[in-house]
Amino acid sequence: MTNLAPAVAAWDVTKSFGTGASRTPILRGVGLTVARGETVFLVGPSGSGKSTLLSILGCLLSPDSGTVQVLGHDVSKFSPESLTNFRRERLGFIFQSFNLFPTLSALDNVRLAMTLRGIGLRTARARAIELLDQVGLGRRARLRPAQLSTGECQRVAIARALVNDPTVIFADEPTASLDAENGQIVLGLLTTLVQLRNAALIVVTHDHRIFPYADRIVQLTDGRIAHDPSQSAFELSI
Amino acid sequence: MWLLAIKSMLADRGKLLTSLLGVSFAVVLVNLQGGLLVGLLKKASLLIDHSQADIWVGHRHMSNVDMGDFIPERWVDRIRSVDGVERADSYLIAGSMAAMRDGRSELVVVIGCDPASLLGNAWVMEEGDPEAIRHPDGVLVDVHAVETLGGCKVGDTLELNGHRAVVVGLTRGIVGFTNNPYIFTTLERSRRYVQGVPPGHCSYFLVKAQPNANIPELCTRLRDRVTELDVHEKATYSWICKHFWLTRTGVGMSFGLATFLGLLVGLAVTAETLYASVSERIKEFATLKAMGADDGYVARFLVTQALGTAFLGSIFGLAGAIVFGQSISNPAAPVMLTWWVGGISVILIVIVCLIAAWLPYQRIRRIDPAGVLRS
Repeated sequence: MTNLAPAVAAWDVTKSFGTGASRTPILRGVGLTVARGETVFLVGPSGSGKSTLLSILGCLLSPDSGTVQVLGHDVSKFSPESLTNFRRERLGFIFQSFNLFPTLSALDNVRLAMTLRGIGLRTARARAIELLDQVGLGRRARLRPAQLSTGECQRVAIARALVNDPTVIFADEPTASLDAENGQIVLGLLTTLVQLRNAALIVVTHDHRIFPYADRIVQLTDGRIAHDPSQSAFELSI
Repeated sequence: MWLLAIKSMLADRGKLLTSLLGVSFAVVLVNLQGGLLVGLLKKASLLIDHSQADIWVGHRHMSNVDMGDFIPERWVDRIRSVDGVERADSYLIAGSMAAMRDGRSELVVVIGCDPASLLGNAWVMEEGDPEAIRHPDGVLVDVHAVETLGGCKVGDTLELNGHRAVVVGLTRGIVGFTNNPYIFTTLERSRRYVQGVPPGHCSYFLVKAQPNANIPELCTRLRDRVTELDVHEKATYSWICKHFWLTRTGVGMSFGLATFLGLLVGLAVTAETLYASVSERIKEFATLKAMGADDGYVARFLVTQALGTAFLGSIFGLAGAIVFGQSISNPAAPVMLTWWVGGISVILIVIVCLIAAWLPYQRIRRIDPAGVLRS
């Protein structure tokens, strides 16, 4: 049954931060479904709850209420340890500022991600080189992040996110640190690699230039879904 | 993973150098302090350890070889009559004053042994023969005491307690705990060189057991025979003398404190460096946690780096201790670098580095992986 389930499904998700009078609602009853192999962009103004929603869907945060299913699993029923294991085995992450270890080469940054799953360094090396080749960095694998351009660093981050063959990939502003040309190249590369693996890709972005790469663009405003092509106007208004 | 943790550690050369300096300093300090303590304690029992005697018999509660009380020499016959004793000789160790030609006087320790057996005589010579104490007025002084004794050399005369003594040989590195020069001579002559020895008295009886004799059983028989005296095996009395200086003086406390401070410095520097390194990499560690790194993985990563620092720091520290120790070691303050002091220092530094890894580990444990998205 889980094989047929959508990559991500969320119903009536709410999340607030702070306590007492300073408690601020960030998500107010959000519902979203992302199919396997689908690329969905979450857009909206700052403070609309995009990153919080991405954290909840990526099993990094728990919602205050509502249900979140990832690959058919109700993640609210997972223990913290099981959630960590689930993220390691099934999910991939790409961040705005890459967050690569500056003291490790591109190759070792990718291998490090594989060691999380207990894969030996020799096996990891072949797989990491293959991935770096796919992102066009096969010849620069031994360089450290400081010796790479920002576009190259993000490509290393993509290789790192994909190296464990995740089923769902979450990307937070992946082109925000890149110029227009590099942003296009990186997103093109990312969506191609994700489609090859039939994985789902959920991207939080402000970057209008990369919108053509999305299968669907979901707009959040003030903690609610303001526009989702997959849902009717009636559904959104409920 | 451990290889990547080590690679990451080695790549951050500034921090690596700082932590290696701290750890190496601690290892050097522990080894030098430990080596110096071992060397000094070795001096405390030097005469016992190098005597050919198997058993030392002396006054009740004897605890320091250089400060023995006097015992009636006639009791030696009782000891000689005990089954299993091959030989028992009287031995005298007592303080005296040596007068030099320039009018100065120096406190010395006169050691008188049986001229026939030479039990307890000097064992290592710089110049001359240990048997030369049989020569008229013959004494042996240590080459390192020559300056203290007015620059005397073989053939020169000294005045000990108003009596003439002729230097017939120079020993090498036979220096006691207090650094007062040892002067070896015959038992009969030593009584002249020392003031206040009651007639017919000595300090110890040195006992040589028959081959294949059971030493503990022989000690028991001797205790039954000379109930007024203490009877100890060589190794036991050696330890008693070391224990005396270790506990009755501030030596143990002083060296222990210096060693502790050295370890504390190592701990502080390593902890600070590892913590700073982790603080600078919070986002990277948060990313690892977001990607599914559990606390165990993070702990293994940090422990690997801590052990790597301990390993490298120990190598440099031990090398530094050997070089530095050899350059400052001398018979007055010998630095005896032993494998077990080195081993203890490495174990201590490993513990220190693991403690140092605990703080940054706690910091990483508290990282919220969702924070990496919110930032």
